[in-house]
Amino acid sequence: MGLTSPWFLAGLVALGVPLWLHLLRQFKRTPQPFSSLMFFERRVQSSVRHRRLRYLMLLALRLLLLALLVLAFANPYLMRSTASQTRRKLTLIVVDRSFSMRDGDHMERAKEQARKLVRDLPGGFIAQVAALDSHLETLTSNETDRGALNAAIDGISAGDQTSSYGELARAVRLLDKTANMQIEAHLISDMQQSSLPANGFHDLQLEPGTALFLHSMAEPKKENWAVESVTVAPQIFDPKTSRLTATVAGWQTAAATRQVSLVLNNRTLATKSISVPANGRAQVEFLGFDLPYGLNRGEVRIEPHDSLPQDDSYLFSVERADPRRVLFLYAGGRNREGFFYKAALESSANVGLLVDQSPLEQAPNLDLTKFAYVVLSDPGELESAVARKILSYVEKGGGLLVAAGTNTIRGGTVPVTGERLSANNAPQSVGEVDAQHIELAEAGRFENVRFISNAAVQPNPAAKVLVKFADGSPLLLEERVGEGRVLTFAAMLDNSNSDFPLHASYVPFVVQSGLYLAGASDVPSSLVVGSPATLRHTKSETTAADVVGPTGKHELSLSDASNAMSYDLTQAGFYEVQSASGRRALLAVHPDRRESDLTVIPDETLDLWRNTGSNASAQKAVSGQTSMTPWNLWRYVLLFALIAACVESVFAVRYLKEERDAA
Amino acid sequence: MPAPVSNRFLDPAVLAGISGLDLIAKTVVDGFLAGLHRSPDFGFSQEFEEYRAYSPGDDLRHVDWNVYARTERAYLKRYRGETNTSTVVLLDASASMGFGSKVTKFEYAKYLASSLVYLAHLQRDSAGLIVFHDDVANFVRPTSRQGQLMRLLHGIAEAELGKRTDFVKPFIELQQFMKRRGVTALISDFFEKPEVVVKTVEPLRFRGNELILFHVLDPREIDLKLEDGALLVDMETGEALESTPDYAKTEYRQKIQAHIEELRTKAQAAGIDYFLLRTDRPLDEALREYLTIRQGRM
Repeated sequence: MGLTSPWFLAGLVALGVPLWLHLLRQFKRTPQPFSSLMFFERRVQSSVRHRRLRYLMLLALRLLLLALLVLAFANPYLMRSTASQTRRKLTLIVVDRSFSMRDGDHMERAKEQARKLVRDLPGGFIAQVAALDSHLETLTSNETDRGALNAAIDGISAGDQTSSYGELARAVRLLDKTANMQIEAHLISDMQQSSLPANGFHDLQLEPGTALFLHSMAEPKKENWAVESVTVAPQIFDPKTSRLTATVAGWQTAAATRQVSLVLNNRTLATKSISVPANGRAQVEFLGFDLPYGLNRGEVRIEPHDSLPQDDSYLFSVERADPRRVLFLYAGGRNREGFFYKAALESSANVGLLVDQSPLEQAPNLDLTKFAYVVLSDPGELESAVARKILSYVEKGGGLLVAAGTNTIRGGTVPVTGERLSANNAPQSVGEVDAQHIELAEAGRFENVRFISNAAVQPNPAAKVLVKFADGSPLLLEERVGEGRVLTFAAMLDNSNSDFPLHASYVPFVVQSGLYLAGASDVPSSLVVGSPATLRHTKSETTAADVVGPTGKHELSLSDASNAMSYDLTQAGFYEVQSASGRRALLAVHPDRRESDLTVIPDETLDLWRNTGSNASAQKAVSGQTSMTPWNLWRYVLLFALIAACVESVFAVRYLKEERDAA
Repeated sequence: MPAPVSNRFLDPAVLAGISGLDLIAKTVVDGFLAGLHRSPDFGFSQEFEEYRAYSPGDDLRHVDWNVYARTERAYLKRYRGETNTSTVVLLDASASMGFGSKVTKFEYAKYLASSLVYLAHLQRDSAGLIVFHDDVANFVRPTSRQGQLMRLLHGIAEAELGKRTDFVKPFIELQQFMKRRGVTALISDFFEKPEVVVKTVEPLRFRGNELILFHVLDPREIDLKLEDGALLVDMETGEALESTPDYAKTEYRQKIQAHIEELRTKAQAAGIDYFLLRTDRPLDEALREYLTIRQGRM
């Protein structure tokens, strides 16, 4: 025991005050002659002794009170081992249920290890069982019953998601702050290197006092084969031009030959043999395969299988369809733009879009729903009936491209979106391009394109500017209207006020924006587990959506069917999704191929993780070694002083009452 | 309203300032008698009683010839108690009688004794004195001879406190001194069990002798107040005992009151007159009470 401020002990001199006062008031025993003691009793003396005892108790309490106050100011402390701290321990048993745990008997061994941990828990334990994949899911509350823990462990099975140790560390940190208990975390996992966070080791940091025990189910030099990727167009219009590329990868494998099969609707269309180098990759290509109209379930499969057969196949979806029509509406009998646009869009193979040109005046007679999207070429101010028709088309999921030229500038607003326009006759070039956007991915940066004049658009708050002029004004804007989307191009699509059609970026721009507006890029051929499927773009769309999972079960509740904006695809397999706009899609979902790399984290890295922060001391504490830390006692001393003050008050009141009665 | 001058002198504290018991006794009794003149209800019942018409056979010595000379009718003077009454004062001189606040009980008892013998002297009764503690300390034989009053007062004045551990012992000796019939006044603080006191003094009431107990107590003995942690020392035995204010205020007072009541009851049951005299009470009040009761009995 020590004192932080020992000089406060000088205050003990104050003990002399009550001592002096009490001594002054000590009992006086002055003999008084009295005629006779025949009416007095001996027992009276005992009450006098009691009274004197109370008097001395009062003195002692006052001395004690002062001494405790002085001691509290001196701030006493005790050195005690961290192991002896009274903080209770919470044992957190975490079982990895990521896709890689499907390998061999990893999951069974992991569950057996978890049960063993439960068996070995000491008396009076508090424990939780949790499962780890892309996030940590606690399967029990703080349990003291081994049966409940074992039941939770029995219910764990390997899934299709990736594991994230960064997420585990974040959850343990949060638990440490909220549970107010010492955390002893046991992670039972195959210790995949791919589970480490990409942001670096910082995300793995644990709170001081948290003990981490790692139980590895990994086997050294574990080889694994997988179909790493499949590239195929989601829509095929001409089977003769169909093309599929598959990449076969091996991790920690020797050079080997693998049989690769293309399976479509459970029918093997072709099989090829490829040689894969040691610990490397090889590509195989399938060309001109035939497929029926409609949505098709595809799979690329390698043989022979290994201990993790689930990644030996790769699912994809592909649709056989006829080319779709695009309606190009032009105003004023002038159709130079249509010429350029049609030439650009139809020049690319396998786009599946054909342009129908029509004067704007014919729009009321056309059924817009037959078209993949509509292009308004410098329409000027639309008649209200045409405007309503086009708006209704867009709101129900249609696409619209508006090229704002001289006529439109004269009208003052962009049709459908209502953005205000003004003329800009100063020549300028393109400044900033959002290259991440899917429709601009291949359009480059509009290099060397010169615009002589353009429309200066004041974008709506909800609009997204994808390309800007050098002066910062928008060249290309995107805005969602209902379930559909509108692109506004602030110039003409021909070469009347720019040299854009003469540059290499024109064709990719027309094709990519066309596919985007047609919704071709909405449904990729394959998605990774955990990706969301979009069900609706606005809350106002209350038409029911539907999702049929890989097991054939309808995944959405009634509430989710009418309200949910998206649905997370958590299992590998085929999903049939019908969005709120009525569009049906077949989504092929496959596990993240990072899970196929079973390379184990080096021991040094794992040791580093165990000892993150001041965790080392906690590890020692758990393993029986102790470190001494000071334990401040002033609160307890003050508490005792308070109790002494209360007792002193009671004694003093009684004593004073006796004195008053005596007087 | 201030007390009359004569009454003021009867306060024991004032009397203590007067030197000489004869003067004190004279002051008390004369003042007392003067007060009686103002009261038509009082008179000396031991002397003149009434006139009665003479009838043949009556003793001619009792005819009041002065009345006969004035009225030519013979009347007889009737007396009560007549002359041969003997008054003996027994004065307790034990150590406990030395207790007192303004006036000690012993001083008060001396004033009382002086007053009684002076009163007896005025009535021309024979008077005697016995001072006792463990033993009989002084004895003045009762007589009505010349100079008896001065002998008695001198004996009272010379009385000193002694010790006593046994209340019964001196009374066994007293029996031999009490030969004549009369009135015996016992002045004491009676610190003994009431049944013992009564049983001890009862023999003094022999052959029609009258016994009067004057119980002298200091006010502090009746309403005892103690300071904290008082150590009390018995004045007779020297025994010491610690007591508390609480006890003095409650149990002691109950016990002393019970003692007084029991003594009064047992004395009256035995035909003995009992008077409680607090030393803060004027002496004439005590005498008046005494004579009132005496008159009632005669």
